[in-house]
Amino acid sequence: MTLIKWSDEGGTVRLGLPSDLDLAMAQPLLDSLRAGFAASRTIIAEAAAVERVSTACVQALLVASRHAAEQNRTFAIAQPSEVLAEACEDLGLDGWLKQWSQA
Amino acid sequence: MEDLSRFKQTYFDESAELLEVAESGLLRLTPGEVDSDEVNAIFRAVHSIKGGGGAFGFTDLVAFAHEFETVMDGVRNNTIPVTTELVDTLIRANDLLGQMLAYAREGDSAPAGTTDGTVAALRRHLSGGAQPAQAPAAAPAAPAPAPVPAAVYADDEDDEAGLFGDAMAAIAAARAEEDPVPPGKLRWTIVFRPRSDLLMSGNEPAFMLRALRRLGDATVECHTDALPTLQNLEAELLHLSWTVTLIADADVDLDKINDVFEFVADDCDIRITAEAPPPAAEAPPPVTDPVPVATAAPPAVVAATPEAPKAEPPKAEAARPRPNGGGAEHAGLTSHTIRVDLDKIDRLVNMVGEMVITQAMIAEHVRELPPGEFQELLEGLEQLAQHTRELRESVMSIRAQPVSSVFSRMPRLVRECAATTGKEVQLVTSGETTEVDKTVVENLVDPLTHMIRNSIDHGLEGPEERERVGKPRAGTVHLSAQHRSGRIVIEITDDGRGINRPKVLSKAIEKGLVPPGATLSDEDIDNLIFLPGFSTVDQVSNLSGRGVGMDVVRRNITSLGGRIGVYSTPGEGSRFVLSLPLTLAVLDGMVISVGEERFVLPLTNIVESLRPKAADLHGLVGKCDVMMARGEYVRLVYLHQLFGIPGAVADPTGALVVLVETEDGSRLGLVVDEVLGQQQVVIKSLEANFRRLDGVAAATILGDGRVALILDVAGLREMSRHMDSRAPRPPVAALPAPALEPV
Repeated sequence: MTLIKWSDEGGTVRLGLPSDLDLAMAQPLLDSLRAGFAASRTIIAEAAAVERVSTACVQALLVASRHAAEQNRTFAIAQPSEVLAEACEDLGLDGWLKQWSQA
Repeated sequence: MEDLSRFKQTYFDESAELLEVAESGLLRLTPGEVDSDEVNAIFRAVHSIKGGGGAFGFTDLVAFAHEFETVMDGVRNNTIPVTTELVDTLIRANDLLGQMLAYAREGDSAPAGTTDGTVAALRRHLSGGAQPAQAPAAAPAAPAPAPVPAAVYADDEDDEAGLFGDAMAAIAAARAEEDPVPPGKLRWTIVFRPRSDLLMSGNEPAFMLRALRRLGDATVECHTDALPTLQNLEAELLHLSWTVTLIADADVDLDKINDVFEFVADDCDIRITAEAPPPAAEAPPPVTDPVPVATAAPPAVVAATPEAPKAEPPKAEAARPRPNGGGAEHAGLTSHTIRVDLDKIDRLVNMVGEMVITQAMIAEHVRELPPGEFQELLEGLEQLAQHTRELRESVMSIRAQPVSSVFSRMPRLVRECAATTGKEVQLVTSGETTEVDKTVVENLVDPLTHMIRNSIDHGLEGPEERERVGKPRAGTVHLSAQHRSGRIVIEITDDGRGINRPKVLSKAIEKGLVPPGATLSDEDIDNLIFLPGFSTVDQVSNLSGRGVGMDVVRRNITSLGGRIGVYSTPGEGSRFVLSLPLTLAVLDGMVISVGEERFVLPLTNIVESLRPKAADLHGLVGKCDVMMARGEYVRLVYLHQLFGIPGAVADPTGALVVLVETEDGSRLGLVVDEVLGQQQVVIKSLEANFRRLDGVAAATILGDGRVALILDVAGLREMSRHMDSRAPRPPVAALPAPALEPV
């Protein structure tokens, strides 16, 4: 299992999303999200570096946000890059991104 | 959205048809011989029912259909193996879906727990197989999916024949009222539902959606209701779908939208609708074809699909190749069919009937015109007659339906009967595409059901008995249909033991249906099974043995103007032959006269008419008269005797003999005064207006306004056979010691 870069600061897990969130990165992202929720109640996905994004990775983030809502956890997408914002707009998920990037 | 209620009836009607499609497909689903087209058809049927149900907010139904559909998806992806147990479960699920539809139609909810058992069984198959392509829907106990726009599910490929195009249009129309399309623009609604493995083929939905956005002002709605949980998510499988509303200039046409999905056509379901602006003071600029959106009002709503729009079929076809090569004719815009209320067609049929009578009356009057005059009028009337005939045939063809709608019900019946009796039965059907009047088709279900049950219960032997006599363990029932002599002939043949004539006769004597000591021919004994109250089985079973069946069959067939015959060979099997008219409205007949009376003989029965010489006529002692015609003896039937008509020509040598043939090939010679001519006549039911008469199929009104009876040739044969006393006739030469079996 490959996990993307993450850190645990005072009970908050921070995932540093890589620049390339292509399809191949979906599984590591998903694994990282699962591991993050297993380790902490608060997960922050740092998205400032994202320069390329696939629908599969957006879907993984979407499922993570639902999981957080259902489990009463904290989840946020911090500083979404313009590329990620545009991708979410294309996918009709701009409202979702807005909601979860302000969490 | 109140407008949707108008389309509920259509939804239920069409769902009933889809259930039949699914059922017939399920019955053909055989372990080890899975036909992917068949599986796809079943999946599409269930999916379409679910989609329409979602549009109308039938949440229980949608939740259950989703369970059913998920398993079917596993079958079509080869992740769930087809087993006999699976097929049984799916058939039960199909039945249950029918019940859910019935509840929804009544506006009721299914009682709690109705689907639990079947859902559990479906899920067992799901868990026993590989990972399904889509996440199962909420369990019945969990919140059911919220009502969704029809567009979410009613995609073109999965929507058999574009069935829910009307609902889509209604949704669009309701929205158009709230939010009209700006003048000069078109509003496209694109429902994009990718298959879950779309991403693995390197396709990226975001690119397609971005390409759509470039075509105009787009609003993208992402549907996330199929998302699994974090733990169950497979990273590379897609669980999202989208509805895009695109306000675009009129030069954005269907092809441009198709182009966006060109490379994913096989990996997703797409449905596209277009709305034009309502007609307003400010006229919109002309809209380029391929979608006829700008003409209908208000608001113009057209369901379109990416493939084969009628306006530009080749280009659009190329833009979206179809998997499995089917379905191109499906969906709203491309549909070549319309639904018409049956009453409207019946009114049309009646009007054509009246027109035929009027045309015949005019033709009657025209005969009285001086010869050589009014040539143009005569030519015009000749043309009118021709057109009337064509119109009649066209109208009749509207009512024609293939018998497949009846035949498709029989595999299930056979399956159930086989299970009940413990026999192994193979059903073979042929001629399913044979068409016949809708009324006839509808009334065939009960008779065929009875006869097939009888064939299995009485005719076929058990597997062990069959092996003992050197037959294959599985018996075969063959159901066939074909057109013959202007009628439809349906045969049910089995390779069983045949009719046990001694047993039939003794039972008939025991029940007092036949006097003791009576001598009956094999054919007569076989026909005893059609007598009311007749049954040879000692034990009444669920299938048969109550003695109500074959008599009802015969009565039903007779009431349709048909006949039924049985032919049996001991040890080899039995054959039931049903002969029915193709239409119950109009027929081509020959008008004949007997005394002062006029009769109509169906043209399809007539072989020839001739005036016999005295030498051709012979009398069978104590029986009937026969005539030598074309090397064979033919029974003569004196119509004036059968119907008690005075003043008719009694001597065949001074009258005419019309040779007629029945469906089984036997011939009769009808003695008539005169043949008046051929005429198209409108059939008026005697049973509906008066009562049934032997030897008479129906009545009609002739051109001169007189009522004439339409003769039933086989009925006449029976009548003449049973005439005990014969009226005096001119003596004809008696045949010595005849060993002749008259027809």
